[in-house]
Amino acid sequence: MMLASTLGPTPYLVLGAVLFTVGAVGLLVRRNPLVMFMCIELMLNATNLTFVTFARQLDDVGGQVIVFFVLVVAAAEVVIGLGIIVGILRRRPGATADDLRLMKG
Amino acid sequence: MTSLLFAQLGTPHRIQTPSVAWSGLLPVLVLLGGAVVLMVVGALLPRRSRHSWHLWLTLLIAAGSIGCAVPLWFRVRDHGPLSILRDAVRVDGLALFLGIVIVVGVMLAALLTDGYLRREELEGPEPYVLLMLSATGGLLMASANDLIVMFLGLEILSLAVYVLAGLHVRRLRSGEAAMKYFVLGGFSSAFFLYGIALAYGATGSTNLTDIQRFLATNTLTNNGLLLASFALLLVGFGFKVAAAPFHSWAPDVYEGSPSPVVSFMASAVKAAAFAGLIRVFVYAFALDRHDWQPIVYVVAVLTLLVGSVLAVVQTNVKRMLAYSSINHAGFVLVGVQAASDRGVRSALFYLATYTFMVAGSFGVVTIVGRRGDNRHQLDDYKGLARTEPLLAFAFLVFLLAQAGVPFTSGLWAKFYVIGAAVEARSFWLALVAMLSTVISAFLYLRIVLAMYGGADEADEAAPAVPRLRIPFAARIALVVSVVATIGFGLVPGPLTHASKTAVPKIAAGK
Amino acid sequence: MSPVLAAETAGSFPLLTAVVVLPAIGALVTALVSKRRPELAKQCAVLFAVATGALTIAVLAGFDTHAAGFQMIDHVRWVQDPQISWTMGVDGISLWMVVLTGILFPIAMLGAPPHHDEKPFYAWLLLLEAGCLGAFLALDLFVFFLMFEIVLVPMYFLISGWGYEGRRYAAMKFFLYTMFGSAFMLVGTVALAYLHAKGGPVTFDLRTIAEHQGVLSPQTGRWLFLSFAIAFGVKVPLVPLHTWLPDAHTQAPTGGSVILAGVMLKLGTYGFLRFGLYVFPEASVYFAPAMITLGVAGIIYGAICATMQQDLKRLVAYSSVAHLGFIILGTFSLTTQGIDGGVLQMINHGVSTGALFLLVGMIYERRHTREIAKLKGLQRSAPVMAGVFTLVMLSSIGLPGLNGFVGEYLTLLGAFLTHRWWAVVAVTGVILASLYLLWAYQRVFHGTPDEANADMPDLRWTERLVMAPLIVIIVFMGVYPKPVLDRIEPSVKKLVQHIETNTHYREPKAPKVRPAPAAGGQTASQGKAGK
Repeated sequence: MMLASTLGPTPYLVLGAVLFTVGAVGLLVRRNPLVMFMCIELMLNATNLTFVTFARQLDDVGGQVIVFFVLVVAAAEVVIGLGIIVGILRRRPGATADDLRLMKG
Repeated sequence: MTSLLFAQLGTPHRIQTPSVAWSGLLPVLVLLGGAVVLMVVGALLPRRSRHSWHLWLTLLIAAGSIGCAVPLWFRVRDHGPLSILRDAVRVDGLALFLGIVIVVGVMLAALLTDGYLRREELEGPEPYVLLMLSATGGLLMASANDLIVMFLGLEILSLAVYVLAGLHVRRLRSGEAAMKYFVLGGFSSAFFLYGIALAYGATGSTNLTDIQRFLATNTLTNNGLLLASFALLLVGFGFKVAAAPFHSWAPDVYEGSPSPVVSFMASAVKAAAFAGLIRVFVYAFALDRHDWQPIVYVVAVLTLLVGSVLAVVQTNVKRMLAYSSINHAGFVLVGVQAASDRGVRSALFYLATYTFMVAGSFGVVTIVGRRGDNRHQLDDYKGLARTEPLLAFAFLVFLLAQAGVPFTSGLWAKFYVIGAAVEARSFWLALVAMLSTVISAFLYLRIVLAMYGGADEADEAAPAVPRLRIPFAARIALVVSVVATIGFGLVPGPLTHASKTAVPKIAAGK
Repeated sequence: MSPVLAAETAGSFPLLTAVVVLPAIGALVTALVSKRRPELAKQCAVLFAVATGALTIAVLAGFDTHAAGFQMIDHVRWVQDPQISWTMGVDGISLWMVVLTGILFPIAMLGAPPHHDEKPFYAWLLLLEAGCLGAFLALDLFVFFLMFEIVLVPMYFLISGWGYEGRRYAAMKFFLYTMFGSAFMLVGTVALAYLHAKGGPVTFDLRTIAEHQGVLSPQTGRWLFLSFAIAFGVKVPLVPLHTWLPDAHTQAPTGGSVILAGVMLKLGTYGFLRFGLYVFPEASVYFAPAMITLGVAGIIYGAICATMQQDLKRLVAYSSVAHLGFIILGTFSLTTQGIDGGVLQMINHGVSTGALFLLVGMIYERRHTREIAKLKGLQRSAPVMAGVFTLVMLSSIGLPGLNGFVGEYLTLLGAFLTHRWWAVVAVTGVILASLYLLWAYQRVFHGTPDEANADMPDLRWTERLVMAPLIVIIVFMGVYPKPVLDRIEPSVKKLVQHIETNTHYREPKAPKVRPAPAAGGQTASQGKAGK
C-alpha cells in the first residue's frame, strides 16, 4: 500500500512486462520440458501481477478476481502438462525438447 | 478486500448472486453434464473392447445439445440476444451458429474415433469425454462476452485437446505432438492473457460491451497500451487458428496426433478460436478497426501463402492437409479482415462448410492410416481408386471442395469471402487468396493423382496389402460429410440464410 | 425440390436448361451402370450425347433468325443475396457454339473409344459436355464462372486417366494454368458485381450489368477487363499464356483432344465476346490494339512452331494457337465483319481441328506413333484416309470453297478496316499454314511406304461414318455459309452497336468496293465467299 502510493503503477507494470519477457524468452531458449513449463507459469504470473496493478490503479475489484481464475487455470495446466511430460518420460527417460524430433518441425 | 469478503459472509443476508438464465446455457450444460455422466458410467461399468455405446451416448448428448440450441436459435432470432451472468455470456446468433458447428465437429470426430479406438486397441470413454469437454470450452468461448470468460473457454478447450493429442499412449509421436501442442498452446495462452491484461488496463474492463462503450465514448490520448493488447490478443488467437507466423506447431501436431482428433482440431477448435477473434476484434474493437485491420491483412496474406507454398514440398498427407488447413484459416481471416457484417457472415459460412470438408478428409486419413496410424505417405494412397473406389471418391470430393471447385460447398465459401473482401476494397487480398488456392490445388491434385493415377506403374508387383477396413461409424461420418459438401454446393441457400440470421445488421462502429 | 433444376418459366418447356442438364444426368446414369457391362455404359453415354445433340438441333430449329437479343431464356433464382440466377439464354453467337458442342461430343465418343475403363471415360465426357454447354448458355456471371471452372475437372481426369506417356504432367499443367486464370476471373467477377451494385442489391445478372454501363469508372473497368482477359487468355490461349496447350493436346486421348480443341478453347474466345466486349465495351476498345497484337503474335508464333514440330499431334496443336489468333484478331477488330468472321472461325476451327485430331488419333491407333519421321507413304496403304485428311487439311488452311476460307476472309476483312497493317501481317499466317500443313501431309502421306507403313489398314466403315458429318459441314459451310451467317449477324450487329453507344468508338464503314453498304455489304461478301 505504501509502496504503491509512493511509486505509482509503472514499476509494477514494467516488472510484469520484464517477467513476461523472461518467461517467453526462456521458453524459446531452454530445452528441458520442465523448465519450459516453469517459463509458462512465469508468464502467467507476470500477467497476474499486471492484472493486480491495473485493478489497483482502476480501483476495480474485477482485476483481482481474475487472478484467481488464472491461478486455477495455471493449476489445471500444471496437471495436464506434468501428465504429458510423465507420459513421455516413462517411455523415453531423460528426454529433452531436442529429443522430440521424430517429426521435422 | 478481505475485509469486504468477511463483511459479506458475516451478514445474515443471502449473498447477492446475479440471476442466471440457465436456459440460455443449456447447450453448454448438456454437453458438460453428458461428459461427466459418460465418464462416471464409463468408470463404473466393466471395460470391454466394444466401445460402441460410448459413441452412441456421445452422439445422443451432442444431439441433445444441438436440440437445446435450436429453440434458442429461434428465440434469439425473434427476440434478440440473451445476456447471461451479468453480461459475461452472450447467447446470440454468432454463438449459436458456431456452437452448432463445434458440436457437429464433435459428432464427426466421435464417429471417426470409434473405429480408431478399436483398431488401435485403445480403451475407455475418455476420448469422448475429452471431446465433449473441449467442445464445452468452445461453446463458452463462442458465447463469451467477457475476455476472462473467453480465456476460460479457451483453456477448457485447449487443455482437453492437449490430452487428446497424446491419446495414443503407445505411439511416441502422439506424445510428442501433445507436448509440442501443450508448450506452444500454453505460450499462446499466456500471450492472450497478457493481451487481456493490457486491454483491461487501457479500457478499465474486461467486458466486451463495456470495452466497446468505453472506446466509443472516450478518446484515448495514448493508445499504445491498446495497440499492444491488439497484438498480444492476435498472437493468442493466431496460435489457436494456426495463422502464419504462429503456425509452426500445426504440421507437427497434426502429423503426430491421432487422426480423428486432428479432424476435431481443424474444425471445432478453429471455429471456436475464430468465434473469439470475431467477437473481440470485429465487434468489441470495431471502432479501432483501422488499427487492427492492417495487422490482420498482413497476417492473412502470410497465412495464405505459407499454407499453400509450404504444402507443396510435403510428402506426408497429414502434413499436407495441415498446411492446407493453415491456408483455409487464411481465407477465414480474409473474411474477418473485412470487418463487416458480410465479412463475418462469410467467415461463419466458411467455418461451417470447412468443418465437413476437413472432418471428411481426416476421416479418410484415419482409415488409410491403417493400424498404428502411420501410413500417411503419399505412396500409401497409390491406387486407392481401384481398391476402394468409394473411399477415393469421398476423398476426391473433399479435396476438390477444398480447392474450390464449382458445385461444392468450398467454392461458395470462397465466393462469399471474396465478396466480403471486395466489398471492403481489399482487392489484392482477394487476389492473393485465390492465387494461393491455385498453389494449394497443386497439392490436392498430387493426392488425387496418387489415388487415381498409377494404373500402369510397377506397383502391380507390390506385395498385396490387406483390404482397408472401413468401420461403420466412420462410414456414416464420411457419407454425411460428402452429402453436406455437395449438398451445400448445390443449394447453399439454407446455410447462407442461417449465417445471415446469425449476424444481424449490427451498427457496430458505423 | 431445389430451384436448381425446377426451371419452369412462363410455362414453356425449358429447352436450354434441358440441354445443359441432360448430359449431366447422362453422366450420372453412365456412372451408375454396372462395372461388368462396359458396352452398356458406352451405349448409354452415346445415347445421351446424341439426345443432347438432338436437343441442340432443336434449339437451332427454334431459333428466331432475325432477333438480335437473347432468346429462349430460362430464369430461376438460385441464391438470394447476392442475387445469382440460373439464367440460360441463347443468341446468334452462342447458338453455334451450342450446336457445335452438341455435334462434336457424340463424334468424339464414337470416333475415339478408350482402351480401358470405358465407364468413367464416358461419364467424364458427358459431364464435360454439360459444363461446356452451360458455359455457352449462361447469362449469369457467376453461373458462367461455375461452368467455366467445372470443365476443368472432367478434362483433368480425361487427360490424366486416358492420355499418353506424359499425361500426368500435362494434366497438372492444364489444370493449374486454367485455375490460375480462373482465380483472376473469380475476383474480377465478384468485384464487378459488387462494384456495379454501388451498395445496392448485388446481382450477377449479365444483362443487368452489361446494359447499365457508366456505373464503373473507365479505370476500374479496365482493371476488371484485365482480370477476365487473363482467364480467357489462358483458355484461348493467347501467346504468352499458351504453354499448357501443346502438352495437353498432345497427351490427351483423342476424344479429349477433339473436345479440348473443338469446344473448350472456344470458351475463351466466346468469353472475350460475351464478357469482354459486351460487359466492358470501353476497356475492349482501349485494349483492342494490345489484344490484336497478341492475336497476330499467336498467328505467327503458332505457325512457326507448327512448322518445326516432329510430332503430328503437336503440329495440329500449334496450328490451333495460330487459328485462335485469327479469332482474336477478328473479335478485337471490333467490326461486324471481323466478329462475324471470328464466330464463324470458331465453328470452323472446331470442326476442322476436331477432324484433324480424330485422323491423327486413327493413325496413332494403327501405327502407335505420332512422329512424322516414322510415317511415310500412307496414301498407298490408306487412300480414303488420305483423301479425308486432304480435305480437312485444306479446310484448315482456308482454301476457297471450304469453310475455313469464309471465316478467315471475313476476319481479315474486318481487321483490315481498323488495323490495316496487322491484317497484312496476319495474312502471312495463312501462307505459313499452308506451308506447315502441306509439308506435313507430304511427309506423312506421299512417297513409297516402308514396311511398317505399307500394310496400314484404311478407314473402317464406322470411322468413315464418324468423319462423314464433319466433312459435310466443312463443305456445306464453305459453299453456302449464308444460313450460318444470317443467324450470327444480328447479334453481332447489336454487339457492335452496344460498343458504339457506350464508347467513342465508331465502326468504320465497309469498303466501298462492294455496291451496297451495311446489310447489303454483308451479303455481298458472303456471295464472294461462297462463290
